[in-house]
Amino acid sequence: MKINYRQLSIITFMSFIALKFLALPSLLYIESKNMSMFVSLILMIIDGLYAFVILDLMKKSGEKNIYEFMKNCLGTVATKIVLILLIIKYALVAGNISKGLEFFVVENLYTEFDWFVFVLPLMILVGFMVYKGIRNIARVSEMVCWAIVIGLIYIALKALSGMDILSYLPFLKDGFKPLVDSAWIHLSWFGSATFMFMLFGFVDFREEKKSKMIKYIIFAILIVELLYFVFYGLFEVTSPTHNYCISDISQFSSTYSAIDELSWLVVSMWIVAQAVQLALYSYCLAQAIKFLFDIKNNTLPIIIVVLYIFAWSFIGENTVRMERIFFTPFASIVTFVAQYILPILLEIVYAIKNKKKRAKDRIERVKDEREKNRDKKEINVNI
Amino acid sequence: MKVDAVKTLYEIKKKLHDSGDLKSRTVQFFGTQITLCYIAPITDNELLNNTLIYPLINFSDEIKDEDVVKVLMDKVLANQEVTAFSDLKSAVDKMLAGNTLILADKAEQILGCDMEKITVRAVSEPPTSVVIKGPREGFTESLKFNLALIRKRVKSDDFVVKMLELGEKTKTQIAVVYYDSIADKTVVKKILKRLNSIKIDGVVDSHYLVSYLERNKHSLFKQVGDTEKPDILVAKMLEGRVGILVDGSPIALTLPFILLEDLQNSDDYYTHPIRVTFVRALRLIGVILAVLLPGVYIALELYHYKILPTEFLITIMNSTQGIPFSPFIEILFIILLFEILYEANIRMPQYFGMAMSIVGALILGETAVSAGLVSPPAVMIVALSGITFYIIPGQASQFSILRLLGVIIGASLGLFGILLFCVFILSYLSNFDSYKSAYLAPTAPYIEEDQKDSYMRKTIDEMKRRPKSIANNKRNTVRRGSYED
Repeated sequence: MKINYRQLSIITFMSFIALKFLALPSLLYIESKNMSMFVSLILMIIDGLYAFVILDLMKKSGEKNIYEFMKNCLGTVATKIVLILLIIKYALVAGNISKGLEFFVVENLYTEFDWFVFVLPLMILVGFMVYKGIRNIARVSEMVCWAIVIGLIYIALKALSGMDILSYLPFLKDGFKPLVDSAWIHLSWFGSATFMFMLFGFVDFREEKKSKMIKYIIFAILIVELLYFVFYGLFEVTSPTHNYCISDISQFSSTYSAIDELSWLVVSMWIVAQAVQLALYSYCLAQAIKFLFDIKNNTLPIIIVVLYIFAWSFIGENTVRMERIFFTPFASIVTFVAQYILPILLEIVYAIKNKKKRAKDRIERVKDEREKNRDKKEINVNI
Repeated sequence: MKVDAVKTLYEIKKKLHDSGDLKSRTVQFFGTQITLCYIAPITDNELLNNTLIYPLINFSDEIKDEDVVKVLMDKVLANQEVTAFSDLKSAVDKMLAGNTLILADKAEQILGCDMEKITVRAVSEPPTSVVIKGPREGFTESLKFNLALIRKRVKSDDFVVKMLELGEKTKTQIAVVYYDSIADKTVVKKILKRLNSIKIDGVVDSHYLVSYLERNKHSLFKQVGDTEKPDILVAKMLEGRVGILVDGSPIALTLPFILLEDLQNSDDYYTHPIRVTFVRALRLIGVILAVLLPGVYIALELYHYKILPTEFLITIMNSTQGIPFSPFIEILFIILLFEILYEANIRMPQYFGMAMSIVGALILGETAVSAGLVSPPAVMIVALSGITFYIIPGQASQFSILRLLGVIIGASLGLFGILLFCVFILSYLSNFDSYKSAYLAPTAPYIEEDQKDSYMRKTIDEMKRRPKSIANNKRNTVRRGSYED
């Protein structure tokens, strides 16, 4: 059940834009003000570069899954520790998406409705997609991807006329420090390539085209930046009060009664994207749990993940509480280690091990040749 | 075995429970009693007289101590297909398939001559795939005739027909047809294996085989393609598919099947590509409207009415004022009414059809609206959805169930529920691979080469390779090379 390189590129694209259009832009504005879009730009470029590091590791792992690969490189204990770290990262992202979806749906689409009614079908959908595996998620992503892209571009272009470009001036008024602070505080919203770890052994590299992946990542960055550019240009200093970037840009909200016939279709597509992303990170979470506890079947990890999503319905009743959970230094550290330290560490360890292995092989080869030569000499002497 | 004409005829009669349509005729042939026995309704009388009875009676050559069977086979029988049987059972089986048995006294074997009378209705345009341009020939209920219709289009030594017999009681002839160099060998093997393993008393129509060939037996979605037209079957075989024809059925099955097939029409290949691309886009929109429109309407009316433009909302509110039912019951009522009318209409004699349409659409619909039982927008929504179903007739029955589910979900969960429903359907169909072909190909997985004939269509000469979406022989993918002006 492998996915092809194009499907991997699309999943990566979706993962890069997944968490970016709800509360993140308004949160970034608190520290980095009108330069917020540069924070996301820098972090997304770094994410893009790391995606290629992880891809390189994925290729090196061959048919091995992440657990086998890491066990070879780091040993069992270290692997289990890393898996715990990844579980935390995936759980945070899945929880973030689930919570974002909840707030967005309940506040934008329904005036009076209980989330518990919605979470059940969402659990069924996510459970089903995770059960069917990564190929299923990849294929659904393939189908919905372009509708989402067109929708996002439509929203951004439509709102362009209402924005004030002068709001971006003065440029870097407070220097780079607010940007760095903001990047660190909101790091857990990034690290978009960490999902790739759980895809080790599941990607068919036969039709690999690096240019394709590069194009998709650049495209994702451009779309995010375009929407941020419009968002900050539209709302300026009031940006932190707008929790739902995508709906607020399109002026779509039942509570505002400012209605655009096509925008709600676009926003609907965004919900689809969030659901697919929730399935992707739930899949990663289930896989990591499976590896950590050495569970043979898929059902138990899926049940755990689905119940975990359900559990999120009980906590974080308001945005402030959710922010506290996600923007603790702990979450940033987890993301930093999982996305930025782990791939480099694995590359180094793999290179060292490989070097040692190659040296060992060379020694054995030399030994073999010497033995063969000795045998030949002995035979000649006997003759 | 030694044949005793009288005794063997008695045994045959006994075996067939003295069946009324079993006929026999006895003649003397140089001192040997020969009994001809056959099933009258399926025997061609003219052929029987000309190739069997007449040559037997008029045979004047001198024969010495030669074996009667040998003489009959070499010198008398003018029939093209003569078989010698050593056991009575296989001889009777053949007789039931249209052979006339020749029981010659003291002969070692029973002879069977193919005298099958092929009763074929006239070739007509199939009602399910009417075309504006292109061939109008449709399959009939005769397997031999259907194979002839295919052979007429296929003059290649690469074309293979594998004959099988299924059904313990019906002994139905099944033909599995494909191009040897194009079809995927493992797919052909798998189909033949599945067909050979079928244990069934009778195969009355090709659809009897469908559930044996499907991977997900209980799924709502169609997994085996079907066509009533030989030109479509040949085109599908040229893409690598395998066809299954059943004697007595005018519908040929095709495998592997992908969803996109129903979005295509044979007309598409005889019309300008730009027009085809436009029409296919309309079909796709039609499918979405057919399945989702009533559900979305209910969701908007119940939960998201603020999304609607004010003027539109006012119009709907004015129309729905005073309706005694909730939007859900209202839509459900109209859908059920529509389904009942549809069922009645297709099974009703044709001369009632027009009257039925008037009563159903005009009188019932109009009266229901005037009486204030249902609102005009609800009638319009269901009517629009109902019409768009038949843009893709091959999937209409499946889509009507999905529409009903969409209505229930729209009423209970609103737009969010409908979106999740859509993702669920996409996710479900993404896993529907069968016979080495992905159900949603060439969209998921995306196959660039096959986009030339998917939602859009390029010109025939631009489609240089066979589709990768269908499992076919990967070593023989080139369909047509470049041409010179």
